[in-house]
Parts: sequence; C-alpha cells; structure tokens
Amino acid sequence: MSLHPRLRPALRDLLSGLVFLVLGLAFAIGATSYELGTPARMGPGAFPFVLGGLLTVFGATVIVKGFLAGDGEAIGPVPWRAIALILGGILFFGATVRGLGIVPSLFVAVFLSAFASQQTRVVAALAIATGLTVLCVLIFVVALQLRLPLLGPWLGG
Amino acid sequence: MTHDQPLPTLPGTIVAIRRHRRLRFLPIAIAAALVVSACTQSGGGATGGASGGGAGDYPNRAITIVVPFAAGGPTDTVTRLIAEPMGKGLGQQIVVQNVAGAGGTLAAGQVATAAADGYTVLMHHIGMSTAPSLYKDLAYKPLEDFATIGLVTEVPMTIIGAKDFEPTTLEELVAFVKEHGEDVTYANAGIGAASHLCGLLLQNAMDAKVTEVPYDGTGPAMTDLIGGQVDFMCDQTTNTTEQIKAGEVKAYAVTTPERNKALPDVPTAKEAGLEGLDVTVWHGLYVPTGTPEGVIQRLSDELKKALKDPTVVEKFGALGTVPVAEDQATPAAHREKLQSQIELWKPIIEEAGVSAG
Amino acid sequence: MDLLANLQLGFATALSLENLFYGFIGVLLGTMVGVLPGIGPTATIAMLLPITFNFPAVTALIMLAGIYYGAQYGGSTTAVLLNLPGESSSAVTAIDGHQMARKGRAGPALATAALGSFVAGTVGTLILALFAPPLARIALQFGPPEYFSLVVLGLIFSIALARGSAIKALAMIALGILFGTVGQDTYTATPRFTFDTRELYSGINFVSVAVGMFGIAEILRNLEDEKTRTVMVKAVGRLLLSREDLRRIVGPVLRGTALGSALGVLPGGGHILASFASYSFEKRMSKHPEEFGNGAIEGVAAPESANNAAAQTSFIPLLTLGLPAHPVMALMAGAIIIQGITPGPNVIVDQPALFWGLVVSMWIGNVMLVLLNLPLIGIWVKLLTIPYRILFPAIIAFASIGGLAINLNPYDVFAVAFFGVLGYFLVKLGAEPAPFLLGFVLGPLLEQHLRRAMIIAQGDPTIFVTRPISLTLLVLAAIALAVAVLPSIRRKREVVFQAEED
Repeated sequence: MSLHPRLRPALRDLLSGLVFLVLGLAFAIGATSYELGTPARMGPGAFPFVLGGLLTVFGATVIVKGFLAGDGEAIGPVPWRAIALILGGILFFGATVRGLGIVPSLFVAVFLSAFASQQTRVVAALAIATGLTVLCVLIFVVALQLRLPLLGPWLGG
Repeated sequence: MTHDQPLPTLPGTIVAIRRHRRLRFLPIAIAAALVVSACTQSGGGATGGASGGGAGDYPNRAITIVVPFAAGGPTDTVTRLIAEPMGKGLGQQIVVQNVAGAGGTLAAGQVATAAADGYTVLMHHIGMSTAPSLYKDLAYKPLEDFATIGLVTEVPMTIIGAKDFEPTTLEELVAFVKEHGEDVTYANAGIGAASHLCGLLLQNAMDAKVTEVPYDGTGPAMTDLIGGQVDFMCDQTTNTTEQIKAGEVKAYAVTTPERNKALPDVPTAKEAGLEGLDVTVWHGLYVPTGTPEGVIQRLSDELKKALKDPTVVEKFGALGTVPVAEDQATPAAHREKLQSQIELWKPIIEEAGVSAG
Repeated sequence: MDLLANLQLGFATALSLENLFYGFIGVLLGTMVGVLPGIGPTATIAMLLPITFNFPAVTALIMLAGIYYGAQYGGSTTAVLLNLPGESSSAVTAIDGHQMARKGRAGPALATAALGSFVAGTVGTLILALFAPPLARIALQFGPPEYFSLVVLGLIFSIALARGSAIKALAMIALGILFGTVGQDTYTATPRFTFDTRELYSGINFVSVAVGMFGIAEILRNLEDEKTRTVMVKAVGRLLLSREDLRRIVGPVLRGTALGSALGVLPGGGHILASFASYSFEKRMSKHPEEFGNGAIEGVAAPESANNAAAQTSFIPLLTLGLPAHPVMALMAGAIIIQGITPGPNVIVDQPALFWGLVVSMWIGNVMLVLLNLPLIGIWVKLLTIPYRILFPAIIAFASIGGLAINLNPYDVFAVAFFGVLGYFLVKLGAEPAPFLLGFVLGPLLEQHLRRAMIIAQGDPTIFVTRPISLTLLVLAAIALAVAVLPSIRRKREVVFQAEED
C-alpha cells in the first residue's frame, strides 16, 4: 500500500483524458459527414455524433480531474520493442495469410512475436515457430477444416 | 489458504503427467477422427465422371463455391444442397465458403478477381442485379466480370401482416395503405435485402408510401411482426410459410404468377388485383469472365443434373421453393435474367433514393 | 399437455445410442474449441455445420446445441487462465476469474464456472421444458422501446463493472459504443467510419475486439518488465472448492441463474445482457464490493451461471416460434432447415421428438460437461506451467487464426492488433476494458432500438414512457443511477488502495 502522492502530476489522467477527447472529437466530426436526420428518422450520423460529443465531454472531465486530483500513479515502462514485434507479427499474418498460405505466414508471425520476449534467442524462436505452426495446422486445418491453403497462390500452392 | 495441497512425490508426478499428456491429446484425436470420417462420407464416395468437351481434365481438384452470406441462411442452405450432388457428378469435392459482408458485394468482388479456371464459383441471389444500383462505387460489373452458369431456384415471396393488423385481404391492405399512408409500418431485413426490394416494388404497385422499418436480418423483423410492433412485410416463403400455417401472421398474397404449393389458399398478387408485383429471390451460379466455355458447360450440365436429384427437390420443398426448369439452368437463360433484373431494379432503386454508398 | 409422456419421449430420443454419442461429441468439441483462444461458438458451429448434414435432424440439432453450450463452458476456461475471452459473456468472467488465476486460484475459479454453469444449465433446461410457450409470448411483448429501455438499464447498472474511476468507465462505454457503429448502417446502408474499405462494411468483429483488448493487451503488460516480475500465476493451489467457497457462491449462482434465464428468453439481445447484468448485480449486493475485480469468486459464479442459463433459454424463441434470437440460433435454424424441417410455431406439435429430445439432451449434455470439465481442470491448470515465452506466442497465433476464422477477413486480424495496442495503452492509463466491451456489444442494440422505436412512434419520444414495460425499466434505470452516483463519491478514496494490483 503506497501513500497517495498528490503532488505528482496526474499523467495517467491527462493522457487518458486526451485519448478520449481526441477520439470523441474524431468520431463526432466524422459523424457530421453523414446525415443527421430528424428525430423520427435519425440519420446514420446522429447516434455517433451524440456519443462522440459525450466522449469528448468525458475526456475533458478526466483531464480536469487530473489537474485537480489525479491518481498520481506513474505510468511505468512501456515495452516498445514487444509492441512493435507483436503488432508486426499479427499484421504480417493478416496481410499475407491468403497469399502465402497459412504455413509460411504463421511461421513468420510467430517467429517475430516470439522475440518480444527478451529471453528468447534465434534458435528458441525457430523452435517455437515451428512447433506452433505444426500445432495450429493440426488443430485448424486438419481437425477444424478451416479453408486455408497451406501454401498460398503467391508460392504456387 | 491456497497452498494447502501437499506436494506430490516424484513418481506420482510422473504418472500424473503421463496420464494428463495422453488425455490432452485424446480430444484432438477424437475430433480429427470424426472430421476425417465426415470428409470421407461427403467427398470420398465420389469417383471421376466423364469430362466435358473442351474442359480438358477439369476438374482435377476441389472446387470452391463462395456464398456471400453467413452460414445457415437460405442462400447458404441452397448452395449446400446442390453442392453435394454437383460434387458427385464432377468427381471432386465441392467446398462451400462463406464470405459475408457489404450486402454480398465483398464476396462477389473477390470472385470477380479470382482465377478464371472454374475452381472458384460464386453463388449469388437477386442482390447481384441490385448491387450496381445500390453501390455507387462497385469494384466489379456483374454482366462484364462474370460468366453465368445457370439459375438454381426462384424462391417466391409472400406479403404478410401482423395478426391484429386491420386489413384481411390484399385489396383491403391497398385501400388501408392509401388511406393511412405513412402511419402504416413495413418491416424489412435491411437495405438491399429481398424484403426491402419487395417493399419498394409493392409501394410502386400500390402507388402509396409507407413507413419502412429496417431490421438487421429477417429474424428480428419477423419477431416484431409476430409481436405486432410493425404492421406488415414481404419475405421469402422460407421464412414465412410456417408462420402463416400456424396463424401467427396473416398472408395477403404470393408474389409469383402461380400460387404456391405449400400455401394453396393464398392468392397471387395478380388474382388479388395488384398488377406488377412479380418478384422472387432468384439464385444463380457465376464464374469469373474468361473461364473456358467447356468448363462453364460442364458446370451447367452438372447443375441441371443436381436440380433433378430427388433429395434436392425434396429439401427445396422444405424451403418453400422448387428447382428452376431445366431450360433455366443454362448460361443463356441466367444471363438474360440477370440483365432484365438489373434493368428492372435500376429505376425503382433510384426513384426511392436508396444508396448503400 | 402431458409433461411426463413428453419427457419420456424426450429421454427415449436423447438416450438413443446415436444421439448420446453425438451429443457427447458435441459438448466435447464445444469445450475444446471454446478453450481455443479466439474461436467462439459462432465460428465453431459455422465451421462444423456441414458435418451434420448427413445426420437425422434431431441428432444434428443435439450435436450443434452441444457445441454451443459446450463452447460456453470452454470459453470461460481460456478467459480465466489466459484472460482471453472468446464471447461477450466470458469477458465478464475474465475480470475476476483471471485475477483468481493470478493468485493461484485458477482451480476454484474453473470449478465455480463448471458448477455454476451446471446448476444454471439444469434450471434453464427445466424452464425450457415447463414454460417455453408462455415465456415466448411474454417475450413478444418486448418491442423496440422496451429493448431500448432495457439496454439503458443494463448500461447504467454496469458502471459497476469498473473497479476504478467511474468517469473513465463511462468514457470507455462511450468509446466502445462508438467503435460499435463502424460498418454499414442498418437503416440507410451508409458505411460509417469504414475509410472506403469494403471489408469493414460488416463492422468490427467482437472476437477481434475481445481478444485484442483482453488477450493481447495482457501479453504486452506481462512483457513490460520480464526480469523483475513473474509474469504468470503463482503456483497452483487447490483445485476444488473449499466449504467457504461453496458457501459464497450459492447466492450468486442462484441469482445469476434467475437473471440469466429471464434475459435469455428475450430475442432482441437479452442474452448479451445476462452476464454483465448479473455481475453488476452481485457487486451491488455484495458487502465487499472492493473484492470485485480483484479475484472475487462471486464475480465468476454469477456471470457464468447467468450466461449458461441464458444460453439454454435463448432456445425458447427458436423452438416455440421459429425466431432465432442470435446468430448461433440462426445457424441452428439453418441446420434443421437443411434437414427438411422449417422451424416455426408448430415444431413442438409436429416434431415432438425433436423438441423434447433436444430439451432432454441439453440436460444430459450439462451432466456430461460437468463430468468432463471437473477432471479437466487439473489439466488446464497445468497449461499455466508452460513457460510464458512459449505460451504468449501461442496465444498470438491462436488469436490471429481465430480472428481470421470468423469470416476469412484479414481486417478481423488487423483489428486484433489494433485493439491489442489500444487496450494496452488505455489500461495502462487507468481505463478498463470491460466497460468498453459492454459498450461495444450493447451500443448497436441501443442505437437500433432507439431509431426503430422513433420511426414507429413517428418521432414522438413519449413512446418510451407511455408503454408500461418500457416505463418500468426506465424508472429502474433512474433508481440505479441515483444509487450509483452516491456511493461512487464515497468509493473514490478506496480506489487508491487498489491501484497497486496490476
């Protein structure tokens, strides 16, 4: 149990409030490009516009609260390397699975994301990627009959 | 409090792990066995049929039929029903793949750019003819990017009303709508759905406007109709026949030139005095343009044969429909239908000011 | 109605060797795919639907139903162990279930889920057998205004989902609702926030959001500082429930079952509310609300029971009226249509063996599930002994394939990554993912029913207060809001003491 360090700037509140504020504004402004309609026939823009506005207000409130009496907790370390590797792995899989086929695509994706752990070296990552690719092919393609080519059209499969 | 389990002895642990290992793979083994047996049942029994002229050794691997809607829906059901006999006739397994989204245009767009080798086939319904009018920036042109194989079935539609809704006949309905106009609510299953199209045509034929209430699919729309939250709708017999028979909703008319066998007491719209209301949910098979003639002919021939399969006929019956006549399951008849439907819907959709962006 | 004769017919049908076998296969497959992160029952049934085409109708339905409620069981396993829910219902279980697992109480959490589900499944099935037709009639009284008011009540009630700041929880709900609007608008077919990408027209998939927000975000959190902290759970303690645990879960299980059974009957989205509502209800009822979110066993018992009860009673609209309450039910309807039987109001009368056979098989299936799952707990818990550096790439692989398996749409995979990162940062900034998910699943219902009610009422908002059921629900919502605002001011101070935990 730690004491509440009131004097530290409440960075968590400021940042999260900012995220809400920006996203709320983005949705609300985006919604204005769709028809707002009338009460009887609300257009596609009405609901997101109101909700976007609400989120903006909530975001502003969180920011104000952060200045007045934030939770004051430190943000702590952010694993940028892990984020980049895992993000890259998943995006690679999504982008290439239909072209490369599930085996190469998944292998690369797992290989990349395995490195997100700093304890994992190349040989271990290779082993993890191989094992998981085999396991996933067995479960999803053999057992569950997911319709995905093992080797995709880009590889002539 | 949480660590009150005694530590197991070493030999005990080994035995336990062994037992667990075996158990861990058991479920997967059972699943694999089950699936393998199911595959051999559905695909393995087929043996090679005679190859059509100009088709070379087609088909020499599994064929995929892409369904542009979710598994379990009427279009999916129709596809799976004909896929089995067609696969047997072609001597290859037919895989049904559901690619749902964007009113069916996502799947059609994918097939349009697929290899024109006859291994990727599209099943689509009436939406193929309305998409060019509904979607302004469609990435494909139905008549140019696809070759037709043949029509499959035309599911009739029925005009139905809530139990407590005042009018009891189509004539009364028309009069009621003309009198009350937008106080009358019409449920549909979403923009571009068959029920929406039928509603547009119906309002044209009645020369009156009603308030349209869109739903996310037929299920919720039917729920609110039975609950009396909305007044009337028009939908495929697949969804309406049982409700009509049970008296949950009342039927005003069927939208085909002939009465429906499952609903012999329900008049046709024409009999009930409403002209210009001929609408069915027609289904057809497509391949990308450039597919060899011989392959198209082969698929069309197998489609014709499949439509005569007694199981197909029987199960189409449960859907409230029948296979199309043999001369309709041809590339030419299908193309003609597609063309005439595109022309029919264009002015109706434009006049109603409907656009799916 | 001769219930005994009907039940006899049901047992005769369900106990045939074939139906027993495929029922077992169904619950087994359901459990397994439910356990696979990212694969929910909808994807599973869609994938396995073709297998049933060669079966008799009742067998097909028994097996598919088994997959459905089996997956509900299995889904909670992954939610507890890996913080990876595959369904909206197990997202709630993950809140306290995963905290229990981190504290070495994965066994009791899973046992609670299994027992709660069994009780709920039994009661739900009994309700299905005894009261299905009259309940379906009551459900039909709910139109768009009633559903709108119900969702409002659910949302207000669920602010309690958050353990920290109430305003951040509200913001997360709003953000979830906004992401729920992505895709083609039902009313005008206008694509919203899709950036001209046709793959986004059908919206963002729930599985992608849940797997990203909970699963991937959790991995990133665990990788923050590998050297100085143990990333996975402590040694696994006892597997089964203590007497004290049992005493604590009786009330939540029963209340969750009642709430879930009632909500499950409503075809307009009631089942979605079940687990969220029962969790919030227990937290409100509890003398120790501060334990919720930190591994309260009640927080597992209530939503799991509610969710399973709702899973059983959501069959009622389909079986009595032929109206599918949600996509899984639509799949079931499709499965029996292909057998030549069209679901409708006459199914109970025309196909008694189908109806009663299914009802009885559901109870037998629940017995099988509890017998299957209690011993499996020992094995699942062993999963936690896999080194984390192997486990997390596995979760990522499963999540990616799970996202893809839904519609073979690569954007569902991209969404996993997007919501993983978004979720990670938001959680790090003190906002929680559960309210976001709630907003995401309830938002579309809220908008749909609001707009539909307004269309039907021709723009007259009094429709919400002139219809008695709707009015009652709104009054309850107002009371809930009043009750929520008062203690939340007082509770603010306690938040400080909870902050150290994640």
